[in-house]
Amino acid sequence: MSEIRRRDPRREWIARNRLHPEHASVVAEQGGAASEWLGPNGVIRKNPRAIGFIGPNGIKRIDRSGAQQGGQAASAARQAAQDSRRNVTIEAPAFLVAVVPELSGGRLSAHDKDLLGLARRLADADPERPGAVLAVVFGEHKEDAFGEAGIDRLLHLDDDAYAGFAPEARLAALSAVERELAPRHWLLPDSPLGGADLGRRLALRLSERPATGVWQIEADAETPLGWRCTARGAAESLDIQRPLPRVALALAECAEPVDETRHAAEPLYLTESIPSAFSRIEDLGQVAVDPAGVALAEAEFILSGGNGVKDWDGFHHAAKVLGATEGASRVAVDDGFMARHRQVGATGTWVTARVYLAVGISGAIQHLQGIQTCDKVVAINLDPGCDMIKRADLAVIGDSAEILAALVAMVEQQRGGQRDAA
Amino acid sequence: MRPEQQGIEVAVLVSVGRHPITGRARRADQDARGLELALGLERQLPGSRVGLLHAGPRSEENESALRGYLGMGLDTLTLLEQAEGSDAIPALAEHLAAAPPQLVITGARAERGEGSGLLPYALAERLGWPLVNGLAAVEKVENGVATLLQALPRGQRRRLKVRLPAIVSVDAAAPAARQSAFGPARRAELAATPVPAEPDRELAEWQLAPARKRPKRLKIVKAASARDRFKAAAAKAEGGSGQVLEGVSAEQGAEAILKLLNEEGVLR
Amino acid sequence: MLETLLPILIFAALGLAVIGAWRRVRLWRQGRPSAVPLLKGLAALPRRYLVDLHHVVERDKVMSNTHVATAGGFVAAAVLMILVHGFGLAQGVLGWLLLAASATMFVGSLFVARRRRNPPARLSKGPWMRLPKSLMAFSLSVFAITLPAVGILPADFGHWLLALALAAVVVWGLGEMVFGMTWGGPMKHAFAGALHLAFHRRAERFGEGNRSTGLKALNLDDEAAPLGVEKPADFTWNQLLGFDACVQCGRCEAMCPAFAAGQPLNPKKLIQDMVVGLAGGSDANYAGSPYPGKPVGEHHGTPHGPIVAREGKALVDAETLWSCTTCRACVEECPMMIEHVDAIVDMRRHLTLERGQTPNKGAEVLDNLIATDNPGGFDPGSRLHWAADLNLPLMADVKQAEVLLWLGDGAFDMRNQRTLRALVKVLRAAEVEFAVLGTEERDSGDVARRLGDEATFQSLAKRNITTLAKYRFQRIVTCDPHSFHVLGNEYGELGGQYEVRHHSTFIAELYDAGRLAFAPWKGGSVTYHDPCYLGRYNGEYEAPRNVLKALGIEVKEMERSGFRSRCCGGGGGAPITDIPGERRIPDMRMNDVKESGAELVAVGCPQCTAMLEGVVDATAEVRDIAELVADALVARPAVEAVDASRRNAGKTAEEVI
Repeated sequence: MSEIRRRDPRREWIARNRLHPEHASVVAEQGGAASEWLGPNGVIRKNPRAIGFIGPNGIKRIDRSGAQQGGQAASAARQAAQDSRRNVTIEAPAFLVAVVPELSGGRLSAHDKDLLGLARRLADADPERPGAVLAVVFGEHKEDAFGEAGIDRLLHLDDDAYAGFAPEARLAALSAVERELAPRHWLLPDSPLGGADLGRRLALRLSERPATGVWQIEADAETPLGWRCTARGAAESLDIQRPLPRVALALAECAEPVDETRHAAEPLYLTESIPSAFSRIEDLGQVAVDPAGVALAEAEFILSGGNGVKDWDGFHHAAKVLGATEGASRVAVDDGFMARHRQVGATGTWVTARVYLAVGISGAIQHLQGIQTCDKVVAINLDPGCDMIKRADLAVIGDSAEILAALVAMVEQQRGGQRDAA
Repeated sequence: MRPEQQGIEVAVLVSVGRHPITGRARRADQDARGLELALGLERQLPGSRVGLLHAGPRSEENESALRGYLGMGLDTLTLLEQAEGSDAIPALAEHLAAAPPQLVITGARAERGEGSGLLPYALAERLGWPLVNGLAAVEKVENGVATLLQALPRGQRRRLKVRLPAIVSVDAAAPAARQSAFGPARRAELAATPVPAEPDRELAEWQLAPARKRPKRLKIVKAASARDRFKAAAAKAEGGSGQVLEGVSAEQGAEAILKLLNEEGVLR
Repeated sequence: MLETLLPILIFAALGLAVIGAWRRVRLWRQGRPSAVPLLKGLAALPRRYLVDLHHVVERDKVMSNTHVATAGGFVAAAVLMILVHGFGLAQGVLGWLLLAASATMFVGSLFVARRRRNPPARLSKGPWMRLPKSLMAFSLSVFAITLPAVGILPADFGHWLLALALAAVVVWGLGEMVFGMTWGGPMKHAFAGALHLAFHRRAERFGEGNRSTGLKALNLDDEAAPLGVEKPADFTWNQLLGFDACVQCGRCEAMCPAFAAGQPLNPKKLIQDMVVGLAGGSDANYAGSPYPGKPVGEHHGTPHGPIVAREGKALVDAETLWSCTTCRACVEECPMMIEHVDAIVDMRRHLTLERGQTPNKGAEVLDNLIATDNPGGFDPGSRLHWAADLNLPLMADVKQAEVLLWLGDGAFDMRNQRTLRALVKVLRAAEVEFAVLGTEERDSGDVARRLGDEATFQSLAKRNITTLAKYRFQRIVTCDPHSFHVLGNEYGELGGQYEVRHHSTFIAELYDAGRLAFAPWKGGSVTYHDPCYLGRYNGEYEAPRNVLKALGIEVKEMERSGFRSRCCGGGGGAPITDIPGERRIPDMRMNDVKESGAELVAVGCPQCTAMLEGVVDATAEVRDIAELVADALVARPAVEAVDASRRNAGKTAEEVI
């Protein structure tokens, strides 16, 4: 769309005149622009009466979320949504809540954001004496929205020593943070290769007995830190209620992520240098693993083919593009299209994938048993009456080869688009 | 055979597991995987010795669960006998320090009790040994240095070198444990030694309850207007379980699938 | 010259045979002891041979008559020859009898020769190909040497060269028939077979209408007792004797579903491998069909060496043992009454209990059985969830009932739940007073036992027996033939004696008693698949057919039905161990259905339903008998007229579905 605004004085006049018979349609056409426009002198003019729209019952409705009813208002609406965040700056925090996000892929993960939400609850509990959330970030990152996630202070430790698996170096750095800043709380995500490891090391270094698998906290004045937590124990089978210790490892969805405030994410530096730790663990780097070689039981996204797949080259190509692990039905294995260890089902592998994309599989009972713990099942099949369709969360009836090809094209386009945007 | 290929001494720490559905005592899944890894190592490095170690009370139920490990092909298990509810860490650390093996393998988390997964870390801290978590395989052991593969999510692997003696913990990415056979399990010996035990007072003060189901988080719709929110909510209802798209073009079908894949976040 | 030579030859052959017999007996005695009443067994031998064994042989009329002529002729000829030529009692009728016997034998041998001209694939070749010639050599030479003895020919007839030639033929005949009988060779089957019949490990299976199909329990209390069979010498001595009796007719091979599916199992070869193991050596001399996909000559063993190697090859590969579906088609077919399934399970017990090598899903299933009392690993508390709306009476509440309805593990399977609902509807329609154990029920232990995990089986069985002992009921009814077999035939040894009925039997009884009425059948043609554990294991072939007849269905029989029914591939844990073959057994069975032209196949087993319904592009629908009956139910006319309350009961039953 062109950036040059073209003005239509008549329509502007109609838009201002609520009594004009064409008023409603013009307002609808102009969207949000009707209440706010550039005056002849280049000054923004506002019409407070133009805010809102006529609802289906003929009653005027005002939407205070910042967006007006209207087709063209999408980009303006997004702008407004971001603008609605309140800026918060905590100058002199009463205490620090240290968070070590896992930063998977260089960005704050959903788990990190939940954890920061939890940190905010701890920090903001007493409005008189607010604490600050300190994030300790290791290595390079691509995140640019630390403030939006609720971080007041950002300690970015960028050094090659922290790259890869470097628990000893990271632990030394966190010990230095502890010495210098002495945060009241340490929060880490209890995620397999994020904070689960580092958090436990830190706790023992600080001689604390950490709470692990925390998923809920509530204020309790009788405990040393003023909080109680509920934590999962014994392989997810127990809830342990205990006073919140200084070091807590929290599960995903332990709190709502921050979405109403924007924080300063003010950079912070340690004054003393971190002693370099003698490392007995050396990271030799990631090993190239063929996505097709990932064990079926471990895979979180499986593209599974059955009797209805005719174009196996297309199928393998789709699996590669989607980054999915390949599975197969018994028939496909019996017919020699897939190796036996790729067979999904009661007689093959019981899979636990988050998404199971079944292509041309009618869904024998044994097969359905094998996928019963899958979160989402998507089926592509020609036969709308087959059992797999009944099981599927989403089913598309049609030619599997065409649909897969279209899906592959879309995924490639989406990836391309992302790369352009980045 | 080259001298550095000599076998090593491996201790596998095992616990009494708990079946997730029935709660019956069993060999713990991760510990059994750890033992499987050790047995694989024994094959790979001839002359290696694998020892089994457990600290806890001796009861009929526990014994049958522990024999589950012995059924994987070992003759003895060292049982450090303690009263129920004791802290196992000092006893284990003392036992390991007295006759240090080169490698200690343990499951990441216990299936009973606190199950915090702290034990390997506590032992590593006490013994001053390096610790590697999420172990998938031991590639080789040479000159007191082990080359390991650490499991990353989605089946990815990272190669690490660690100086022995070390503690490694395994989770579900390690090779699945072999079947436990009844005969060897019945014949094997439980070598029990009573050890002094301190009760875990802190744990005793906590409130333990069967896990409640965690509330499912509602999908927060980041919509700017009520209309968008309504649209999002309506779209969710129609996109719920069992949606069947019939008579749509391949593109439309693919689009619906792509939307679901994006929602689930499996595309990377 | 012959007069002096013959007694020497005969007694030499007999002497050597006795030495051979002693050696053979020593080979068998390598096995573990087994308490068998020796004299009683020997006394029962003639009846077992002439009645029970002949009953099986008679299924092939020509071969049966051939065997009667040849074997009968030989036994008579051999005895008479000893008298006539050994002791010189040629006078009178004996010589003539000998002539008649050897002539009969010769006629029989002609039929044997005819059969060997183009032998079917199931017959072993090798030494067996010379058998008709040996039979002829014996019968002809005995005939010839007897001619002078009875005076038809002069005593000094012919040249000394002719006499020498005749003597050579006599030596051949005697060598094969007498010496070979105990030293190895085709005739070994006569010697070993006779003793096998006498000392059979399942004496109770002989006699009209008797069967003995339950596996024998291991003694787990004795820690020194071996768990299963690791080496040939771990079999009991009479099992080894049984293997040695094999006549390599290959009837088992022709019936074996695993062999037909190209899985690496051939029951005949397996028994021959056991013979190789008991004597020591390699299978290179085996001259029959190999295990599919496994060349002959690569396996070898010794009596005290392992049957299945921990690494590499020994006597048998593990996958051979795990291919078996325990369908008992081989045992049913074997004219020598060899117990293949017992042997296979014995060897599986070792693999599972001692080595922990149950293949594929086996270990997982066994772990589930230990931890959750069902093979699927489902929450045992959810066993009755499928019946939440049915309001089934629980034994724990009512304490006693006429019928205990045993649900089996099908209660966790959505397909089988339909069958169970149908069965409940039928029972309610017939106003049967029944109750279920509900969550107190556990897996019967069938799968665990067939997978060789005797410990888990006994644990499940003992706990089930304890539960059942708490309640009073007249009989157990189940729609699972596997549970039926285990409860009825295998719990007895552990202290649980029950009267168990398969649901088809029970429905047939209800119908005969006039407690059920059916609408006429309107569907297409129907065939019936006999479940192995109902038919061959328990001899119930008629009741399901009677039920179908009562429904107005004329069963279109498949070529293989009744005692020759082909397995669905679901027994013995075969779907769990899942040994690959060239075809799938259920596919073959559905092909049988297709060939019968039926549009619907009625079954009576959850395993069969699951296996047959799992066949892709099947031409026939698969339905359980209970479902067919439930669909056809109509209120009984008499009841409708008189008893309104009963009609209501019937109505509620219909609403249930």
